[in-house]
Amino acid sequence: MAREAVGKGTFSQPSVLPGFGLTFGFTTFFLSAIVLIPLAALVSMAASSNWNAFVHTVLSERALASYRLSFGASAVAASINLVFGFILAWTLVRYDFPGRKFIDALIDLPFALPTAVSGIALTTVFAQTGFLGRYLALAGIKVAYTWIGVTIALTLIGMPFLVRTVQPALAEVQRDLEDAAEILGANRFYIFRRIILPTVLPAMLTGFALAFARGVGEYGSVIFIAGNLPFKTEITPVLIVIRLEEYDYHGAAALGCVMLSISFLGLWAINYLQHWGRRRSTATRR
Amino acid sequence: MSITLDQITKRYRGAPVVNDVSVDIGDGEFFVLLGPSGSGKSTLLRAIAGLTGVDHGRISLHGRDVTHVAARARGVGLVFQNYALFRHMTVADNIEFALRVRRMRASARRERRRELLRLVALEGMDNRLPVELSGGQQQRVAVARALAHKPEVLLLDEPFGALDAKIREELRRTIREVQRELGITTILVTHDQEEAFALADRIGIMNLGRLLELGRPEDLYARPATRFVATFLGAANLVLAQHTARGICIGGDPVMALGSTTAPGGRDHEVVAVMRPEDIEIAPSRDELRSSFLGLGTVEQLLFVGANERLRVRLNNAASAGHVVTSADSNASEALLEITRTQHDRRNYPVNAGQCVTLGVRRLHVLATPLSSFTACASSAPQAQAISEEPLLVQLATRMKTRVSTRVEPAMQQAATEAAAAPFAGVAVINTDPGAGQTVQWLLQHGAEAVLLLPHNAVSPVRVLIHWLDEPSRRATLAVSASMLRHVSAEAVYIGILADDGEAARPDGLRALLDARSEAQAVHGLEIRTELGYGDVAEELTRRLAEMPEQLLILGVSDISVLTERFAALLSRTASPLLVVWQPGDPPQQA
Repeated sequence: MAREAVGKGTFSQPSVLPGFGLTFGFTTFFLSAIVLIPLAALVSMAASSNWNAFVHTVLSERALASYRLSFGASAVAASINLVFGFILAWTLVRYDFPGRKFIDALIDLPFALPTAVSGIALTTVFAQTGFLGRYLALAGIKVAYTWIGVTIALTLIGMPFLVRTVQPALAEVQRDLEDAAEILGANRFYIFRRIILPTVLPAMLTGFALAFARGVGEYGSVIFIAGNLPFKTEITPVLIVIRLEEYDYHGAAALGCVMLSISFLGLWAINYLQHWGRRRSTATRR
Repeated sequence: MSITLDQITKRYRGAPVVNDVSVDIGDGEFFVLLGPSGSGKSTLLRAIAGLTGVDHGRISLHGRDVTHVAARARGVGLVFQNYALFRHMTVADNIEFALRVRRMRASARRERRRELLRLVALEGMDNRLPVELSGGQQQRVAVARALAHKPEVLLLDEPFGALDAKIREELRRTIREVQRELGITTILVTHDQEEAFALADRIGIMNLGRLLELGRPEDLYARPATRFVATFLGAANLVLAQHTARGICIGGDPVMALGSTTAPGGRDHEVVAVMRPEDIEIAPSRDELRSSFLGLGTVEQLLFVGANERLRVRLNNAASAGHVVTSADSNASEALLEITRTQHDRRNYPVNAGQCVTLGVRRLHVLATPLSSFTACASSAPQAQAISEEPLLVQLATRMKTRVSTRVEPAMQQAATEAAAAPFAGVAVINTDPGAGQTVQWLLQHGAEAVLLLPHNAVSPVRVLIHWLDEPSRRATLAVSASMLRHVSAEAVYIGILADDGEAARPDGLRALLDARSEAQAVHGLEIRTELGYGDVAEELTRRLAEMPEQLLILGVSDISVLTERFAALLSRTASPLLVVWQPGDPPQQA
């Protein structure tokens, strides 16, 4: 009996998926074909232009303004989502109310909608004659065709990322832990800070990173509400499209490279932060 | 008193989960709340901790009313079944959590942590994470954490549930030692009777939200008051017996065993006798029996269990004794007695399956319950069968671990004039019909101790109304009510009814109300609410029964002529089950 069992163990697959060699092969292939090779082409294209032209394109006043808007608005939008996405997820996980399932389904809508559609919808609502824009205009706040409009569009686009990453992490926080902390004398804020937050923080950072990355690359929903005024409401992707329309492929590639590097640096920084945070709270030592 | 619970009631969607629980727990006492899952014991513990509010009643810790005090301010420690350790914190941080919250200095914290780790035998584990510890070690950390802020009360919610047998025993010993060393008042919740015996100074047994019995483990085992406790604590044979002037009779012969008391004068009573498996003796003949003779039996099954031998023996005269229930199979209608004997006894008198033996009983305990068995009565067999299958009756019988027999009695319809073929015993059950008043009267006259009037498809009650028409019937009604309430998950309400015009009778009425309440509490440990009604008794009761269907009325009478007069309408039309208890008025009946 024992020998048979051992024999079986040796020949059976440890996992339902085929072995490491095969899976790793697929991983490299897909990453290469879909991510690495196109990106390399982009970089090589940018590198094939002459250095002065490259620097000129990349550091032009107009380009710098567009970076500021693109990355700034993405960061602000992701931060807004960090707070409100958490509250949304909390509500959905912790409370049962009529229509909960419906709201839960609504969260994913920005994923499914063509971004141009959300752009048009937002512009309709926030234009100065729009449903909400009218009242905001009375208060002296102009949304459409300003950086505020860009931020709102990016917030909408990024919201599901936050909610969907935080939701499962929150659901995993056991009620018993909160009960235990309360009996030990902790008040609600303390429980939130010391028990709940450390548990969901990694998920929140991941969500933030995803929302931020999505915001940087967003094009469709922004072009309508932003108005695309150079130096003011022109995001980098729009600038790239403009360069393309001018048949300035090298310029477009150069701008693309800059976006790529900044995005990569940003994502890497967040990942590092997450790793560092986890190590600090010692949760990775297993 | 360290912990005082006063009439704690907690409802969930209208139904009481914890039902009028009152108990005092002394300083340094180790109290175990024992009950099957769903009995409300964990809810009660959470209520004491302050994690669950209560709907009614008061909780005091060391004389301080904490009913409305937040959990964090109650000064209790709680250990959860699943440990509930903070996984992102080290053992040290977990234990110091309560101290950090209280802003204790780091050096003082460290000192206290060392002390606690020594107490639970986990020295040097400070920097481990909970995931790096075994289940038993994690629970030790949880105990240390719960004790960090020096709580006055330690609460343990099935702390050994997730551990294997050996670790469980080790941890049990640790907890007992820690409890002794600190002298901390402790409540432990468990469904494991062995655990309760091993740890408890006192055990409280809960079922269906009620605290059924309370006492030292050995007392509860030797002298349980209810069927539930008798079978839940260890194994027990429950046998229907007759309490007569000659003693306790099982199947005709009086068993004059120790522990049987003299019958209360007048009628014979059907009672429930408890025999522990180790109290039954088997011998080749009556002469060789060293205890009182029980009857002859046939060995059906032999089982070896380590130090003891377990036998199942069919009692030959059980046909008349009726019913034997053991805790092992609570619904077996066959009269099989469970017996255990030592290897020493086995060597002296080895038996085989199929062998005929003489049975004796060393100790016999008679339960105080007035509800012994149910007899479904009707004038035709199919009707009687239908009654015996009524869901509410089946539920009651299952919970009481008792029998429902059927009886066809054609004389029932004519009532009053003809006599029954044989006297009734226990509770007779009939369907509601227009002549119910007369039938009830007739059944009571022919030996039934109470009659349950059961409308078709009656629902399980959430409220039991209690009323007695005259003082002589008070005692019996309260006893029956207490017994009934232990088996249904319902609240008890005594209805006192004053005549409209009786301004003068008012003080008397109120006194009766208070008397009823204190007697229920003192004699039966039963908490009842009291409500006052006015006007005609039958009308008032009819009105209250109409309020909602999930009610049961227990009505005590001593003069049964009223059943066919003032109460005929109520009895024949009731939509709720109705239990009529008869306590014959004294002098004329005695003769």
